Amino acid sequence: MSDALLSKLQREDIFVCAQCGYCVKWCPIYDRLGWESTSPRGKIFLLKRMLEKNGSNLFTSNSRIASEFVQRLFDCTTCGRCTEKCHLELDLLDLWVKLRELAVRQGLAPDSVGLMEKTLIGPKNVFGMDSQSRRDWATYTGAEVKVQDQANIVYFVGCVTSYAGRSQGIAQAITAILNHIGENWSLMAEEWCCGHPLDVSGATQGYREIADHNVEAIEKMGARMVVSGCPGCCLAFREEYPRVLGRKLNFEVVHFTQLLDRYISEGKLRVPKLHAAVTYHDPCELARLGGVVDQPRRVLGSFVEKIIEPEESGTMGRCCGSGGLLKATNSAISSDLAEKRLAMLNRTGADVITSACPSCDQSLVEVSSKFPDSKRVQDLAELVASQMGLV
Amino acid sequence: MSLEKTVTNLLGSDRVSTSYLERVAYSHDLAPIPHDIARLFNSLPDIIVKPQSLEEVAGVMKVANRLKMPVTPRGSATWGYGGAVPTMGGILLDLRCLNKIVSFDEAKGLLTVQCGAVWKDIMDFLERTSWELPVYPSSAPSSTVGGFAATGGFGYGSLEHGSLVDNVESINAILPTGEKMMVDPNSDWVTPRQLFGSEGTLCIFGELTLRLVPRRPSAAPFLAYFHQLSNAVEVANELVRKKRPFSLILRAFGFVRAREGALLSPEDAESGAIIFGYYAGTPHQVEEFLNTFARMVTDRGGNPRPREEAEFEWSERFYPLRIKKLGPTVLTSDVLVPSNRLIEMIQYAWQLGCDASADVEVENIWISPDQVLFFPLFLSDERRAFRYLTHSAITKKLIDRAITTGGRSYGYGVWNSFHFAASEPTRRKEFAKLKPLLDPNGVLNPGKTFTAKTRLGFSLPKFMYTGFLETLWRLGGWI
Repeated sequence: MSDALLSKLQREDIFVCAQCGYCVKWCPIYDRLGWESTSPRGKIFLLKRMLEKNGSNLFTSNSRIASEFVQRLFDCTTCGRCTEKCHLELDLLDLWVKLRELAVRQGLAPDSVGLMEKTLIGPKNVFGMDSQSRRDWATYTGAEVKVQDQANIVYFVGCVTSYAGRSQGIAQAITAILNHIGENWSLMAEEWCCGHPLDVSGATQGYREIADHNVEAIEKMGARMVVSGCPGCCLAFREEYPRVLGRKLNFEVVHFTQLLDRYISEGKLRVPKLHAAVTYHDPCELARLGGVVDQPRRVLGSFVEKIIEPEESGTMGRCCGSGGLLKATNSAISSDLAEKRLAMLNRTGADVITSACPSCDQSLVEVSSKFPDSKRVQDLAELVASQMGLV
Repeated sequence: MSLEKTVTNLLGSDRVSTSYLERVAYSHDLAPIPHDIARLFNSLPDIIVKPQSLEEVAGVMKVANRLKMPVTPRGSATWGYGGAVPTMGGILLDLRCLNKIVSFDEAKGLLTVQCGAVWKDIMDFLERTSWELPVYPSSAPSSTVGGFAATGGFGYGSLEHGSLVDNVESINAILPTGEKMMVDPNSDWVTPRQLFGSEGTLCIFGELTLRLVPRRPSAAPFLAYFHQLSNAVEVANELVRKKRPFSLILRAFGFVRAREGALLSPEDAESGAIIFGYYAGTPHQVEEFLNTFARMVTDRGGNPRPREEAEFEWSERFYPLRIKKLGPTVLTSDVLVPSNRLIEMIQYAWQLGCDASADVEVENIWISPDQVLFFPLFLSDERRAFRYLTHSAITKKLIDRAITTGGRSYGYGVWNSFHFAASEPTRRKEFAKLKPLLDPNGVLNPGKTFTAKTRLGFSLPKFMYTGFLETLWRLGGWI
C-alpha cells in the first residue's frame, strides 16, 4: 500500500513547514511529554526524513522509526491547535488524520483502534452496547421524547450522551428545552453512531455506510435541521459527511448552544438569573474546529451573574484530553491532560464549570476526584434546563 | 556505568531518551541541509537529556567531562547555522524545561529568567506590569532566552536599546566543566560580552537577569510604501539618525519575483520597498515622531500608510518566513552591514537572485544608526537536490560581500564558521583563548564556530569549502 492518501498539497506542506516551532508549545501532548518527536514540528521533520528516504512507501520503507512514529500519531488529541498556530497556514490536523488512515491501512495502528472499529461497526455505537438500548436514556431520565416519521428538527443524541450514564442528563435537558419551546422535533427511529471516531482514527472503511444511513434517514424525515449536543457529531454531519458522500446535505446542522443562542436572541427563551460565577471550557471540536465561540458565551451572558474566562480559551482553548481517541490509545496521557485542564478551570475561582460537549464533561468529571475542592462540571444545556426548572 | 545509566540516575528515566526516532527528531535545526553536506557531520545525538534545574545541567556537564563526551545545548533550535545541532553525536541537552521566571523585581525592573523561557511568554508576562523588554528576537514566539543570548542578541528594540547583552545585569552561567559562575560586567576574567554570541561553545546561559525598560505612556507603529528603494533607504537612515524608534525595518521586494526582473538599479521603480516599525515615548513625542516620519516619507515620494495598516504590519513582524509558502525552501544568511552600504548589499542580493533564478525578499532591521541586520530570503526547493546545492553558495557569497562592505556574518555555527576569522579577527582570537580555559576537555558544542569538524575527525579546510561552493555556483549557472 502506497502513501497515495497524502495529497500533493500535503506532500508539499511537509517541506513548506518552516520548523519555526511556533506550534510546539501549544501542543498539549508536547506540553505533557516534552519530547521533540511528540510536537507537530518534530513529526513534520520525521515525516520529511521518511519522504526523502522513500516517499512512495512512507512507513514500510522506514521501519526503524515507523512504529514509534505511528504511536506519536495516535498520541495526539487532534485538537487542531497546531493548525491554528501555523503561520504558514498548513492544515496539520488534516495531515495527522490522513497519516492515521495510512497507518490503519498498513496495519500499524494501535490495537485499540482496531478494537474501536470492530465495536463500532457491529452495534453502531462506540461502546459496543446493544443497539436496542440506545434510547434507554429516556427511560432512565424520564425525558419526554418524540420519535416521528416527519419533523422539522432531528435531535441527534450521539453515543456518549446515549450510553454514558452521567451524560444522559444532557439529552434530558435538550429534549426538555425543545419541548418547552414547542418545536416539532424528533429522535431518529434508528440512530447510528455518527462515525466521527472512525474518521478521526483513520479507520474509515465503514464510514460511508454510516454516513449514508444517518443522512438518508434524516432526509426522509424531511428535517430542515439536525441539532446535537455533541460537537463531534456536529463535525461529522457538517464537515465529514459531505466529503464522504460527495454532496451537500439537505438540512442545516447546528450544535445545541447555537440553537439556544437563537432562542434567546429571538426572545423565545428566558433563563432566570443564576447568581454565580461560571467559567466555560471550549470544546476543541466546537470552538476551534466548529467556529462556535461566541454563542455559548452569549447564552451564559444572558443569565449568569459573571463569566470568568479561563486561561487558553476560545479558538485557542485547551483540550480536555478526550480528543482524537486518546482515551483509547493512551489513557494515561488523556487523564493527565484532563487534570491539567481542570486545574486551569478551577483556578478561575468560578462556582460552576460548564462546557458543551459530553466527552469534555466526562473527562473533566473523571479526574475531579483528584481535586478535593473542584467545582461541579455541568453541560451548558443542563445548566440552562435546571435553571429554568425543566429538569 | 554506561552514559545512559549515569544520566538516568541523575535525571530520572522520563527525561532521558536514546530512542532512534527521538535522536533523529533532535538532529537538525531550522535549516534544511543538503544531504551530501550533512553526512559529513554526525548530527545524530547518542542521547537526549532534559534537565529541569541548573544543578542538573551542571551534573550532566560533569558526566560529559568525565566521559569526554560532546554536549550540544539546544533551546528551540530556531537558528539556521547548526549551533544547536551536534557535529559529533554525544549528549543533546534540551534546555526547554528550564523555562521559569525566577524572580521579578518590579521596583527596579529586573527580571531573572531561566534559559529555556520563550520570549513571547516573557512579553505576555510583562503585559501586566509597567515594564517591557528592551529587545527581543524576530522569532520570539518560540525562541528561548538562552538561544538568543548564545546567537548574538540583536533584534527588535536593538535600535533603541542595543543588544541583549547591553541589557543584562548578570548571567548565572554553567561552564563547560560543570561549574556554575555568576558573570556580570564587573567580573574578573570573563564578562557577559565575551560569552554573548559564543553560540553555546563557551558556556550554557543558565539564568539571565535582564534590565527591563519602563513602559512608555504612548507608542505607535508606522508604515510607508516606496516605489524607489533608494528613497526608502534614505528615509530610514535619516529617521534613525534624527529620531530613535524602538525598531525600524525595511523590506525590499516583498514577494517580487527576482527571476522575472532585470538587474536592479537604485532608481528601479519596480523594486518597491516598505519601511515599518514602532516608536514609543510620551504622547507628544509620539505625535511629533509620526509627523516627522510622514513628512520625510512624503518629501521622498513615499506613501505613509494609515495606522491600522501599520498596526497590521507590526503585528506580522514575527512571521517573515510566511514567504516559505512560495518556496517551499528558504535560503538565508544574516549579516550585519553598515547602513551606508545597505543599498549595495540589497542590489547584490537581487543580482544573486537573478543569477540563481531564485525569488528574493530582503528584511533589514536597523540595530543602530550605523548598522543593519541584513536578512535576505531566497526561495529555493530542497527537493531539487542539485539546484538546492548550487543555491547554498548564496550564503557564502553574501557573507563575503558583507565583509568587503565592513560588515560581518551575524553568526557562525557550523556553516559559517569559515568566515569567523575574516569577519571578526580580534573576537575570534579572544574566543580561541577563552575556549581551552573554560572548556579544557573540549566537550561543549565542539566542532563548530571556530571550525567545522567532520565525522572523520578533521576540520574542513576553508579552501575546500570555498572551492566547493564556488564550483557549485558556476555549475548552477549552466543548468
